[in-house]
Order: sequence, then C-alpha cells, then structure tokens
Amino acid sequence: MRYRSQAVAYPYFVVALLLYGLQIAFGLLAVVKYLGPDPIKGWLPFDVTKEIHTNVLIVWVLTGFMGAGYWLVPEESRTELHSPKLAYIALALWTLVALTAVVGYLFGWTAGNKLLEQPLPVKLGIVVVMLMFLYNLGMTIWKAKRYTTTEAILMAGLVMTALLYLPALLEFRNYTVAIFYRWWTVHLWVEGVWEMIQGALLAYLLIRLSGIDREVMEKWLYVIVGLTFISGLLGTAHHYYYVGTPSYWLPLGGFFSALEPLVFLAMSAYAYSAIRRSGMSHPNTLALHWTLGSALFSALGAGLLGLAHTWPAVNKWTHGTLITPMHGHPAFFGAYVMIVLAVITYALPSLTGHSESERESKVGLWAFWLQVGGMFGMTMAFAAAGISQTYLERILGFGYLETQAKIQVHFLMLLATGILFALGVALFLWDFFFLAPSKPQPVTVATPSPQPVR
Amino acid sequence: MTKRQTRMFFAAGTTLFAVVFIALTIDSHRQFGRLTHEEAITPAVVAGKHVWHRKNCVNCHTLLGEGAYFAPDLTKITQLRGEPYLREFLKDPSRYYSEEQHGRLMPNQNLSEDDITNLIAFFTWVSNIDNNGWPPRPIVVSAATPQGIMLGTKPPGAASSEPVALGEALFGRTPPACFSCHSTQPNVQIVGPSLAGVSTRVADIIKNPAYTGKARTPEEYIRESIENPNAYVVPGSTFSAAGKSIMPAIYHDMLKPEDIDHLVAYLATLK
Repeated sequence: MRYRSQAVAYPYFVVALLLYGLQIAFGLLAVVKYLGPDPIKGWLPFDVTKEIHTNVLIVWVLTGFMGAGYWLVPEESRTELHSPKLAYIALALWTLVALTAVVGYLFGWTAGNKLLEQPLPVKLGIVVVMLMFLYNLGMTIWKAKRYTTTEAILMAGLVMTALLYLPALLEFRNYTVAIFYRWWTVHLWVEGVWEMIQGALLAYLLIRLSGIDREVMEKWLYVIVGLTFISGLLGTAHHYYYVGTPSYWLPLGGFFSALEPLVFLAMSAYAYSAIRRSGMSHPNTLALHWTLGSALFSALGAGLLGLAHTWPAVNKWTHGTLITPMHGHPAFFGAYVMIVLAVITYALPSLTGHSESERESKVGLWAFWLQVGGMFGMTMAFAAAGISQTYLERILGFGYLETQAKIQVHFLMLLATGILFALGVALFLWDFFFLAPSKPQPVTVATPSPQPVR
Repeated sequence: MTKRQTRMFFAAGTTLFAVVFIALTIDSHRQFGRLTHEEAITPAVVAGKHVWHRKNCVNCHTLLGEGAYFAPDLTKITQLRGEPYLREFLKDPSRYYSEEQHGRLMPNQNLSEDDITNLIAFFTWVSNIDNNGWPPRPIVVSAATPQGIMLGTKPPGAASSEPVALGEALFGRTPPACFSCHSTQPNVQIVGPSLAGVSTRVADIIKNPAYTGKARTPEEYIRESIENPNAYVVPGSTFSAAGKSIMPAIYHDMLKPEDIDHLVAYLATLK
C-alpha cells in the first residue's frame, strides 16, 4: 500500500464479501426450490429468493468495483484520496440502502422489474452513493493533475455505469418500451461499461503482477474497449428479438453478438502474453490465479456460451429457457466476480500488513479451485437442463410442468455442484476474515514509480 | 499500432456505433406504436402492468421470454387458457395444481377482482404484440403428450383435406388452442375434461335427465359445447365456477362455421 488512504478499500471489500456469502446462500435455496416441494413458499417464495440472489450479486460486485476504485486511483494518480471520510460515509449509506432493499424484498417491497427490482427510493439511494463515489475519485484525480490510461478507462466505466442507471429510474406505460430501456441499463452494463472496468482492472493487475510494460498493456486496453463497444452497443439487439421491436434487430443482433466473444478472446490473449513474458514469478500466486482465471473463464462464460444461443435462429427456440442461466452464471462469475476477487486477493496482503509471499495459502487455492470447478459443473448442469427443456418443451411440445418434472436430475446436479461452489466461497471468506492477520499496516512512504505515466 | 492509433480506434469505433444505435432507437420508437398496438393500452392494461410488477411475477414467470424460469411463459397465456379459467386460477391456484402432482404450486397472490381483471387485460394486450412470431410454437403450461412432433415453424398441418384431418389439425393449432386445456388421452385431465371417447360418453349424457342442452346426437352435443359452453356444464369441481363453464364462450365468433364443422367431425371420431 503506497498511500495511507488506499485503506478505505478494505471495508468495501468486507461488505462486498459478506454480501457475496448472502448471495450464494440464496442461490442454494433457489435450487432447492427447483427440486421441490417447497414447504416455506408461503413466507419465502421462489421469486423473492431469486430476486435477492441476483440483486445482492449486482450490489456486491458494485461494492467491489468501488473498493477497487478506491484502491487503484490513489496509486495510479500518486496521491492521497480526496476524502477518506466521505468514502466511509458513502459505504455506510450504501450498506444501509442494500440491507433496506434485501429486507424490503422479504416483505414484498419491490418494483418487480427483472434485475432492476429496487424500489424508487432505493434506486435514488444508489444514485446518491454513486455520485459521492465519483465525486471523491474525480476530486482525487483533479487535485493530482495526473492520471493513467488504465485509471481513465476505469473511471469512464464507472461514470458510464452511473449514467446508464438513469433510464432505470423512469417508468414507461408501454411494457415493450420499458423492456427496451431496461436493457440500456442491464446489457450496456454487463456487456459494455463493466467490460471497460474489467479490462482496466485486468490491465492494472497484469502490470503489477507481471511487470509487463505499461505502454503495451494500455495500447491493448484501448483495442479491447474499442471492440467492446463496436460489438456490444449493437449487440444489445440480441435482447430485441422477440419483445415487440422492429425485425431489423434480428440480423443486427446475430452479427454483432457474434463479435462479442472477440473482446474476451482479446482479454485472454492479453493475459496470456503478459504472463508468458514474466512467468508466474510474482509472490502473490493467488492473485495471479484469480486474474488469469477471470480472463479465461469470462472467455468461456461470457464469450463462447453467450455465442451459443445468441443467433436468432437458435434463440427463437432457447429464449426464456434454462439456457439463459447457463450463460449468465459463468459470464457473471468469470467477468465480474473473479476480477473483483482478483483485486481483493492482490490488495489484501498490503491492506492487512502481510508480506505478499505469505498469501500463497492452501485454503486460498482450494477456494479458487472449488469455485472454478463448482461453477463449471453448475454451467454444465444448466446446459443439460436447458438443452433438454428446449427440446422437450419448445420443439416436441411437452408442457412446461411435464418438462420440468423430466429434467429434475439436472437440478440435483446443479445442487451438488452448487454446494462445491459454495464451499469454495466459504473458504474464500474464511481465508479473508480469519487467516489473513488484521494488524494495522505500518504506513510506507509514497515512492515515485519508475514507470512513465501518461 | 501505436497507442495513439489504438485510442483513435476506440474513440471512433465507439462513437460510430453509438450514433448508429441511437438512430435505430429513434426509428424503433417510430414503430413501437404499430408493433405493440399502443392504442390498445387502456387504463386497465396499465393497471394490470402494475399488478404484474407489484406481485413480482417476473421473478418466477417469463413474459415475452423474459423473466425467471421457475414457472411457465405467459406471453400467449390468454390465447391458450381463456379468461374464465385464468380468473378462477388466479383466485386460488391450488384448485388446479398441487405440489404433489405437478411439482410446483403458485402461492396465492391474494388478488382482488379488479387486480385480476386488469392483469388479464394486460396479458391480452401482451399476447397481441407483434414480436417477430415468437414463440415459434405454443409454449403450453401442461400437456399430456406432444401435439404432433415437428421441427418446423409452421403450425401443425392437416394430413389431408378430409374434414376429420382438418379438424385434428385445428385442434392442435393456436388459436383456438383446444389442446392446451383438453387432452385426447383417457384419464388425463389438463384443465377441461379429457376428450378421449367423448363421442361415446356424450351419447349417455344426452339421455341423462340432468342434461340441460338441446342436442340429440353426439355431433350436435359437441357443436353445442364449442359454440355455447354454458348450455350444459359437465359436473366437476374445476370445470365451472358459480355454475358457469370456465371454457371461454368465444369460439362461435372466433371460428368460421366450416372450422367448427371440422372440429366436430374430428371429435366425433373419438369413441
């Protein structure tokens, strides 16, 4: 830790990881409900379980992004954070808003709009915290009069995240129009500006972990982000196939979503070439695992498995089946969960006053492989369930209920692999909270980086 | 490539495609009115949309294929299951489904009569949205056996131009979606009575003094049931509510007379 105020990242990571645990608990509960019968559906029905599972995911990944921002910006701009106090206040408010939302969901307080279920006051709270966060980092950069490309891309991604949330505040009379703009938030987040954030965090971690030349990394970062928007903006079309939109979105969606995997392939190539040069010599091997894992797993989950059902001729049959979570789970995990865990793992030794080599813990490695393996198994279980569902229900014409009864065995597999995954998460939390010592870090004086900064 | 060139690639690419995306968005707005029949968005439809959101329906069901995968898609539900049935179902889902038999049961949402009316109005509006022909074949809640295996996108075609074959094809088509409530297998009850052996069975019903309709032959009875479901309501706790059949009384107007002839011809063969 080069700057004392980078320490504000730590409580953000604490909140993020606690929410991660909560998300997984509700995820497991949701699978159990798939297996049925459900004795608690009277007071905790599936819709609430699933809503908490997905909303807590979004909130904790955003918390992780904010923590990563507070960690990275002072270091890249070589200055102390504008106001650590504001960052702590923002976190307190954020946690309050998140918990209010979760408790509200339990009592049926919801906007009932997929992934944007937050009731309006909660949405406004989210906007306020985002503004506090962006103001704080913006002022830090402004005062330092210095920023790097990596940092600029990260900030642009975060600013766009806030801006693209604004359509979610509007209400539309026409359900089709509401769907149209819902994707401006959801799609342009996860297949647009969040990829900017992932790319920037990946660049930062690769520079730090492999010692590769910053100029080379940042050059490729521009290419990756350029590809993200060239494919991803019109790639939104794959959500506009069958919801009451003009038919020209069909060929556009097919073509541009087919380009979307390029982004992830480029990120994998980028990580591979960086590591090839320096080898796995950095002492924080855990952080290396998560960083490379993010690049590779997102190529599988977000890239290839997205491509698997994005063509209109395929999507016509798979739209609205379990094929969607087959793509959604590994995509979110690979691209966003893993990159946040990578930043946490990278920053943890210096946040907790630890030498980096000591972070090569057995528990940490188990946490990594159980999560990766568990998620891979879950993806396969969703794939088997989704393919069977598509064939039985959509092509042969079996009823929804009969089909669900026939694919129960895949939900058993989902539960089994989900438990492996949850064990991995539990080990990660245990490692974070109990194995890493929490003695305060002796503050080191900022040393100028030898690398040129643009 | 130099860093400057890659930055140009990013800036120019993003700007170009953002402009195209916004232009297409504007064009889509020009077409939304026509594609979604905006003139049909009545206050009841809007109120129904609020019920849909308030009750968090989207986190179990899909609508237009979007939502969660725990419960059936509802895009065309009002075409597959008529209004009288939906009304009864929404009042108390456990009348029609049980966890023991179907694996899942929708919790009672405690909807008011107005809520239900509005929700059905909303679903009806959604079912008429021009959404590029999705789903390519009906997604049904429950069906005894597949209504003919086929891989194409067209509705089931008739094997020949004989009335019986035409009637059988029509039975499996949406609308009228007869198959989505009536099985043609013995003892398989989806929503309405199974039509297996209907021709033989109704011969007995007609003779029964409790019969209230005017039919004298099985063919006449079948025609009467299609055109006026309330002429005689088959006993059974789920077939009617307050003495009224839950089969929609819409087919007399929806179907052409020859369509009804074909359906009658087909159903009369089920002995």
